[in-house]
Amino acid sequence: MICPNCESNVSEKRKRCERCGTDLQIYKKIYRSSNLYYNNGLARAKVRDLSGAVIALRKSLELNKFNTNARNLLGLVYYEMGETVAALSEWVISRHFQPVDNEANEYINRVQSNLTKLDSLNQAIKRYNTALNYAKQKSDDLAIIQLKKVVTLNPNFIRAYQLLALLLMKSGEKERARRYLQRAVRIDVNNTTTLRYLKELEEANAAGKDVEASNETDTGSRASIMPLSSYREDKPNIMAFVNLVIGVLIGIAVTAVLIIPTIKKNQTVDDKQDIDISYSIAQLEEKERQVKSLLGEIEELEQTNEQLRAKLDSIVIPEDKTIYYTPLFNAANAYMTEMTKTERNRDYGMLADMLSSIDESKLDKEAAVKLLAQMKEATYPKAARQYYKSGYSYYSDGKYNEALVDLKKAMDYDPGDVDAVYFLARSYHRMDDKDNAAVYYSIVVTDFPDSSRASDAARYLSQVQQQ
Amino acid sequence: MINFDEEIEKFQPSLEIEQAEDVITNNDLIDATDIIKDLLKEKRINSNN
Repeated sequence: MICPNCESNVSEKRKRCERCGTDLQIYKKIYRSSNLYYNNGLARAKVRDLSGAVIALRKSLELNKFNTNARNLLGLVYYEMGETVAALSEWVISRHFQPVDNEANEYINRVQSNLTKLDSLNQAIKRYNTALNYAKQKSDDLAIIQLKKVVTLNPNFIRAYQLLALLLMKSGEKERARRYLQRAVRIDVNNTTTLRYLKELEEANAAGKDVEASNETDTGSRASIMPLSSYREDKPNIMAFVNLVIGVLIGIAVTAVLIIPTIKKNQTVDDKQDIDISYSIAQLEEKERQVKSLLGEIEELEQTNEQLRAKLDSIVIPEDKTIYYTPLFNAANAYMTEMTKTERNRDYGMLADMLSSIDESKLDKEAAVKLLAQMKEATYPKAARQYYKSGYSYYSDGKYNEALVDLKKAMDYDPGDVDAVYFLARSYHRMDDKDNAAVYYSIVVTDFPDSSRASDAARYLSQVQQQ
Repeated sequence: MINFDEEIEKFQPSLEIEQAEDVITNNDLIDATDIIKDLLKEKRINSNN
């Protein structure tokens, strides 16, 4: 067992806790009593004495709140009595005390997995509360209507049956009240409230029977003092004869209404079959004519359909040009965002990449073309410079592939940047790609003959051409 | 003979599922073991004094 004081595990045989020295005998007695009550509750639940089981199981938990079996069973009993919230509460507490290897988990999951049922149980509770309010306000009819729905939604709701029976008893509908109470008794056999109401009904019934019996006795006594001359022979039972006559009449009526018309109809059909052959041939001819005319109509319709389809194909749907403007708007938006930053932090490269991806030929508005041109003018030289710097940095670090990417962009955005062209050539040269190196050295020599890079480019060009 | 009005007054509203949390939170979870533990603790404190 677990020591209630220090919560350490102690052998069942020990009388004292080995760790804290607490006397465990009294606790053992309490736990035994709790288990006795649990067994009692279980025995009662098995014979559907649910109210008795609730009392025993509550006692068990008052002695030992950690008695998970007792708490789970109490939840089940509550659930069976239609007390959904009480049931769920017990299972949740049980799970709190014993999170693993606990059947309460399964019960909670089962209830929660069927949301429709859970909703209907909650609806039943709400309606029960409404009905109770009606009953307290003496609107018994409304309360009865609600409670009938409650017991349909939750057929185990004992309290609803009891209240419904009570209201029916109050309105004098004793037989119906008894039927509802009997349904409640089938769920909880020993519920004192249900039994009390049933007893009340029995007493009322017995009282009623007594009155009837006394009336009958009076009649009997009066009959017994009737003079002998009042003897009359029993009347012959003419009702049997009347019933027989009615039966015969009904038989005749059925024959006249159902059987004879059917026989006649069959006869008529046989006669008509011969007569109608010529008529049917005429009908067939008529149908053939109709089919031909319909086929003609179908042909006409098909032709019309083809003409319309041809027209439809010839219609050119105007292009949705707004999609061509989206990149421009995005670029303009990015441009404005970058302009809010300081010069050093502006990403001109990104802006230039966005602007270069816009297909100018698709823009048919002059203002859009102008805007694009303005943005390019403001962005490209600076983007070229940024790309040149990063390219040159890669070149210095020996990362020639990366250098090529940035230097090419620098050259694209500013074709007059001789440095970018020169270091493109140098990068290819370092990578031993002499053909490409020669191309770019040639550009420097040819297009920028007066620049400071021209002489070096010429020297390297002759080197690569010789090799 | 049952007094119907008195009998109806004995019926209490049923707890709705939305109120389950309150029921669990306010549940009195003191058992006999807790009471005995408290009594023994008190006794120990008194004897020490």
